[in-house]
Amino acid sequence: MPNVVEARDLSLSYEKGHTVIEKANFNIRKGEFVFITGPSGSGKSTLLKSMYGSIKPTFGLLKVGELDLNTVSTSNLQELRTHLGIVFQDYKLVNEWTVAKNVALPLMIAGYSMDLQQTQVQRLLKHVKLGDYANRYPFELSGGEQQRVGVARALAKNPMMILADEPTGNLDDYSSNVIWDLLENACVQLQTTVVVVTHKIPMVFSLPYRHLILENKGVYEVH
Amino acid sequence: MKSIKNHLMFILPLVAILLGVQFFLIFERLANAYEEKLKNSYTILAVSENELTTKDFKAMNSNIASSTKVEKKEILKEISVGQTPEDVEEILKSLPNFYNIKLAKYLDTEDINKLKKQLIASGKVKKVETFEGSYTSNYKLFKFIKFILNLFILFMGIVSLFLVIKQMEVWGYIHRERMQVMEIFGAPLMLRSGILFRVAFLDAIVSTLIIVSVFLFFSYYGIDVGGIDIVEQNNKLLFLPFDGAILFSSALLMVIISVYSVVTSSKEKDI
Repeated sequence: MPNVVEARDLSLSYEKGHTVIEKANFNIRKGEFVFITGPSGSGKSTLLKSMYGSIKPTFGLLKVGELDLNTVSTSNLQELRTHLGIVFQDYKLVNEWTVAKNVALPLMIAGYSMDLQQTQVQRLLKHVKLGDYANRYPFELSGGEQQRVGVARALAKNPMMILADEPTGNLDDYSSNVIWDLLENACVQLQTTVVVVTHKIPMVFSLPYRHLILENKGVYEVH
Repeated sequence: MKSIKNHLMFILPLVAILLGVQFFLIFERLANAYEEKLKNSYTILAVSENELTTKDFKAMNSNIASSTKVEKKEILKEISVGQTPEDVEEILKSLPNFYNIKLAKYLDTEDINKLKKQLIASGKVKKVETFEGSYTSNYKLFKFIKFILNLFILFMGIVSLFLVIKQMEVWGYIHRERMQVMEIFGAPLMLRSGILFRVAFLDAIVSTLIIVSVFLFFSYYGIDVGGIDIVEQNNKLLFLPFDGAILFSSALLMVIISVYSVVTSSKEKDI
């Protein structure tokens, strides 16, 4: 399988200049499910942000798809992001938009027609078991429901990779299991690469996965 | 209600800025009209031994637009009463040439004195007399009022600008999260700022329409300014069709700068 992410001697810093990852080497291949764990402040979220170009490497190479994120232009980065699905711990839904409009965001950006957007959104909301919630607003939903909307939005355009930052961090066990199921399904059924930053790998997880751990500024594979 | 308040928070300072722009345009036009009136009512009489043409006068000073020779017979009519034809003939021979001079533009007292000196210094003109009305003192007052008004416009503009900046902060607060989320999902700048641009564009149209309506009304129905004839005689100068374009362009420029500042300051780095 081809690499979706390739990191060579990758170093990352916070804005203050504090290095959190130093000379890390790893690959993530298409269709893999990867957990990234590590103690608080080890740079898990920073690493994930760097994969969608929100933070630039301070040293080394970081390629996502065919793009070197060190030298990527704004328009190419925008193009890359339309092929990524991003899930946040605090959902990052637009509160003044309905659930349907939130899910349709990646389709709207890609220039899909309204009809196509509606069909796709209905299918996705059914998939995340929120078929009747299209016209509700995010603030009317529970945390678990909001995160399902977040996953539906991430899946909207059949992304090449889903990047999830603590997707179950604010959820109870039941809601967490629903989210894990949805991410597993995306990986199995759509061959989407899924990278999840988490404190804790779920106890029950049926899919084979890779585990990268961040420690002492390095990225190590747990076998 | 909240939405109306948000619109008003941008419309009001924008109206104040456009009001300043319109006042500036009006006073520029009134000043030009006043200068034109002064220029036309200013009389300069030049006396010369030899015949001179307008070209000769223009060569002496470029601010001279034209010269008209005063017929000697007309002058004689006034001074030959009771004189014998021989005496009249004698007077006619000894009379110099008189010229009425018109100016190309309004000149202040200093420039008029300079013009007089230049005509005399040419050696072709013996004497120059000027007959100014009471306009000059009025004009000085008008200029002073214009200066005060421009200061007021500047002050009003600065205050309004601060209000616009305040509204930009409100916009940032309302729209930042949505724009940041859109940016993360790859939305280009125009798409991210689309909603904000539509809101601000609507405000620009409303603000322009308010100012245009007010000044169109004054322009058609007149304005009572307590006997200031330059305003009362030039009601049409209160609004010209081109003003609408200037006002809308100014409002649009404000909108583009404000929205672009909000959008560029709402980068995803805080997310």
